[in-house]
Amino acid sequence: MIVLLITIFATINLFTVSSPKQNQIAGTTKCTVTGIVSDIETEEPLPFAVVKFIDLNRVSTADENGEFTLSGICPGDYKIEVSFVGYETQIFEKSVDDKSIIELELENQFNEFETVNVTARRVFERGTEAISQTQIPKSDFSSNPTRSVASVLSGVQGVTFSSAGSNVQLPIIHGLRGNRILILNNGLKHGFQNWGPDHAPEIDLSGVDNITVIKGAAGVRYGPDAIGGAVLVEGDPMFFNQPFEAKIGTGYHSNGRGYSTQLEIGTGYSNWGYHIGGSLTRFGDRKAPNYSLTNSGKNEKALHGGARFESGSINAKVFYSFVDQKLALLRTSVAESGNLFIRSINADEPVFIRPFSYDINEPKQENQHHLGKVEINWQYSENASLNILAGRQYNFHREFDVRRNADLPITNLDLTTDDIQLEWQHPDWIDFDGMIGVQLFLQSNENNPGTNTTVFIPNYNVQRYSAFLIEGKDFGNNTVEMGLRIDVEDNSVRGRQTNQDLFVDKFSFSNFTASAGWIQRFSDRSLIKTNFGTAWRSPNMAELFSFGQNGFKGTFGLLRYKFDTENNLRTNQVTPFDKSEKSVEKGLKWVSEWNFSTDHHQLVTTVYSNLIRDFIFEKPVNIIGTVRGPLPIFIIDQADSFFLGTDITWIHQYSSRLTGTLGASYLFSRNIEDNEPLINQPPTNTNYSFSYATEDGFGFFDSFEFILNTSYTFKQFSAPRTMRPEDIVDGNMEIRNDSEIFDFKNAPTGYFLISTSVHTSFGNFNGSLEVQNLLNSSYRDYLNEMRYFADEPGLNISLSITYNL
Amino acid sequence: MHYLNNLIKIGTFLLLATFIFAACDTTGSTEDPPEENEEELITNITLTFTNMDDENDVVTARAQDPDGSGVEELQVLDDIELQTDVTYRLTFEILNGLETPPGDIGEEIEEEAEEHQIFFQFTENAFSDPVGNGNFDNTNDPVNYEDVDDDGNPVGLETTWTTSNETLTDGSFRIRLQHQPDIKSSTTTVNDGDTDFDITFTLIIQ
Repeated sequence: MIVLLITIFATINLFTVSSPKQNQIAGTTKCTVTGIVSDIETEEPLPFAVVKFIDLNRVSTADENGEFTLSGICPGDYKIEVSFVGYETQIFEKSVDDKSIIELELENQFNEFETVNVTARRVFERGTEAISQTQIPKSDFSSNPTRSVASVLSGVQGVTFSSAGSNVQLPIIHGLRGNRILILNNGLKHGFQNWGPDHAPEIDLSGVDNITVIKGAAGVRYGPDAIGGAVLVEGDPMFFNQPFEAKIGTGYHSNGRGYSTQLEIGTGYSNWGYHIGGSLTRFGDRKAPNYSLTNSGKNEKALHGGARFESGSINAKVFYSFVDQKLALLRTSVAESGNLFIRSINADEPVFIRPFSYDINEPKQENQHHLGKVEINWQYSENASLNILAGRQYNFHREFDVRRNADLPITNLDLTTDDIQLEWQHPDWIDFDGMIGVQLFLQSNENNPGTNTTVFIPNYNVQRYSAFLIEGKDFGNNTVEMGLRIDVEDNSVRGRQTNQDLFVDKFSFSNFTASAGWIQRFSDRSLIKTNFGTAWRSPNMAELFSFGQNGFKGTFGLLRYKFDTENNLRTNQVTPFDKSEKSVEKGLKWVSEWNFSTDHHQLVTTVYSNLIRDFIFEKPVNIIGTVRGPLPIFIIDQADSFFLGTDITWIHQYSSRLTGTLGASYLFSRNIEDNEPLINQPPTNTNYSFSYATEDGFGFFDSFEFILNTSYTFKQFSAPRTMRPEDIVDGNMEIRNDSEIFDFKNAPTGYFLISTSVHTSFGNFNGSLEVQNLLNSSYRDYLNEMRYFADEPGLNISLSITYNL
Repeated sequence: MHYLNNLIKIGTFLLLATFIFAACDTTGSTEDPPEENEEELITNITLTFTNMDDENDVVTARAQDPDGSGVEELQVLDDIELQTDVTYRLTFEILNGLETPPGDIGEEIEEEAEEHQIFFQFTENAFSDPVGNGNFDNTNDPVNYEDVDDDGNPVGLETTWTTSNETLTDGSFRIRLQHQPDIKSSTTTVNDGDTDFDITFTLIIQ
């Protein structure tokens, strides 16, 4: 629902529906219930709405006057599901007795067409409707809210995640990650230190209601950075007329001896509702099959609270969330010298192994993230509305490293992000349905003193002004969409060189973004969506200004190096952006999805290509002598790159209880300017899962679901060549400024994994048992930066239980 | 009338929007990042060999990496030229020359002596005391450490060396400072922990 609000467009019509007046004829044995489903605003009945008493499996359809009657419903507590085209299907828990008048309220949901995927509630909105996308409901991740958003998303074909150990995980959509994936946290671009492989968004899953992943260039609607796609994270929708609900959950995880607890409460009254919650999570060192992954624990506290109000046609929402985390990074990953790096990368076991501990030592991160927003929506006429959203985020980020001053943070940054969005969903213009929006985005990054080292990321201010227009029109069963956007961004940067001299830079970008999409519905069972979208993003501050040693290598950002006339690398001055030949990244992504279903089968095939001009990446150029010994030198470079891939999902419903799902993802990627491979691209993956589910009682349980997941991840066969660090340091292998890209270690071999889970409910309890890496296999993940040093975690058994009041 | 009503409402809404826009601090802080006292970077290392019988007989050898984190190569500026059959005390000056005045990293190392050790490797039998080729290959091989940390383990900021009575024209003298937080012990080796510096000088004894 938040999706709706944020987007103005779609929602807005808060029809309080229904009020099925329910009459129990007292004293008779007939036990007949009657009611009327109507739209509260217009008072018009909603004809043919479907009313289902779930517990009894009794369904009634309202007549043309919105009235329905069901006999044989005696006093008691019932779950009633009300659905109506264009409205989100909603379940109410109501006490039915002979005097009560049940008030049910449905939110209008811009649900253009029925979807074949019955497990996912799908919300489409203008502007991204034609882009391949998947929504993940809370039920898919509620049994283990200690996971990262990225790991939940990786259940979607074409989406994986990159990581820096067990605690830092970033989504990858079709080969693109980091700043190329826009993460919208409750409608706001999540404002965090988004650079390098070891910074992930601070989002607590226990406060999330659903996650939508959009696998196309969604920049027109959501803003720059969505070159690879967008991830929309939404909190509780806070429906009205909901009974008081409280949930207490706790979980235990064998690997890392982790434990977590969550609490959520919420109520919906006739014209307002609230939802608050919190969670605590603690993990110690995880364990690979053969050794402890020393220093891989985490400590996280999270809180969120929101309220929604309605008065006439005005609908308002306030929301606040807070996440506090302490994340350990693998101890053995720290190598400031070539010596130790060579030793670590060649060791069969990490060079630093200690007995299990909950301690979080250096290297570690301590992050706090506050997000607050106010949103007001005014449905001023039947099909037009205005929406304003204002949000502020504070992000405090501290990194501690193994060094002489280990107790001082080596990076200490405060990032403040302001976001204001004003959107107008206009009345139809010659059958065009659309919206116009303006956005203001401000970000200010500040270094705190006392790190005893030169600031790595400069202080900076970003101001971005944006305006966009999105229009859609239906032609019979088919839909066309198009969008245009303009962004003007000003950057002001203040940094320090290693001799503490100040450097300042100011630069601006103006960019147009456009998208066009088409949905062709051949029949109820077959449709094709296709979308072309452009997108852009400005290089992040680390890509521009990195300077010198960070770990075992030295990296120089786009503005920190030059090649002189003799092609020697020079790093003695900072080039102002406008005088450099560097530019923003620009992408053109085409993504098409064919969705075909029969009675027992569903096939979803996605095909995409993405051409990115001036793709930014890191590459090796040299080895230099330093006081610490030889040091591999890398630069941030730009080159045109191309991505082509496909994702396939085939669901086979063997019976009402048995379902099999086969999935596969393949991606080809290449730096087409230098005709060489790209590094750290997702390898091919295939997976098959089998589930048995019943809602009708299963022995002791009211509901029961068993899932068995198998997956095989291939070796990344198109990884760059390997040059062993010792060969470079010893001079056996030479690298030059124009050397082909390489990696220090071969891509890991393929691996087969099995995981399984059981989800049950009994009375007010939900219980889950999940087993990951059932075979306790030793393997390394190509997309985990720690693959140089250590295996992935082994067998993990998680047990969780939730009590619903 | 209905239309006018709506117009008024839209006006109010836009006014509210403008108010929220204006309320927002549109510039943010524009402070410069702090100047830091760089304690991670070593640019200049000077070895000082002092004749223990004659304080005025001093031999120095320097190595420097003038641009610190930049890509300029490390430069070993001097050879170590010692006399035969003389006992020297070796001390270090370890600086960050990119600061003014230069930061003394040697002091830092001394303060955290229980996390640091300097290891030595040299041409076999260049010295009569210690004999051998240093403690790179075997931690327990002789090196005359004259300083210990709080745990009683050697540090190496001060050592003594007696040259052999035979001359040496093209020997080598390698020093490596290992940072060994939480792990330094009497048995930790040149490969434990991380390297803070690792430099090889040419050693001449005549």
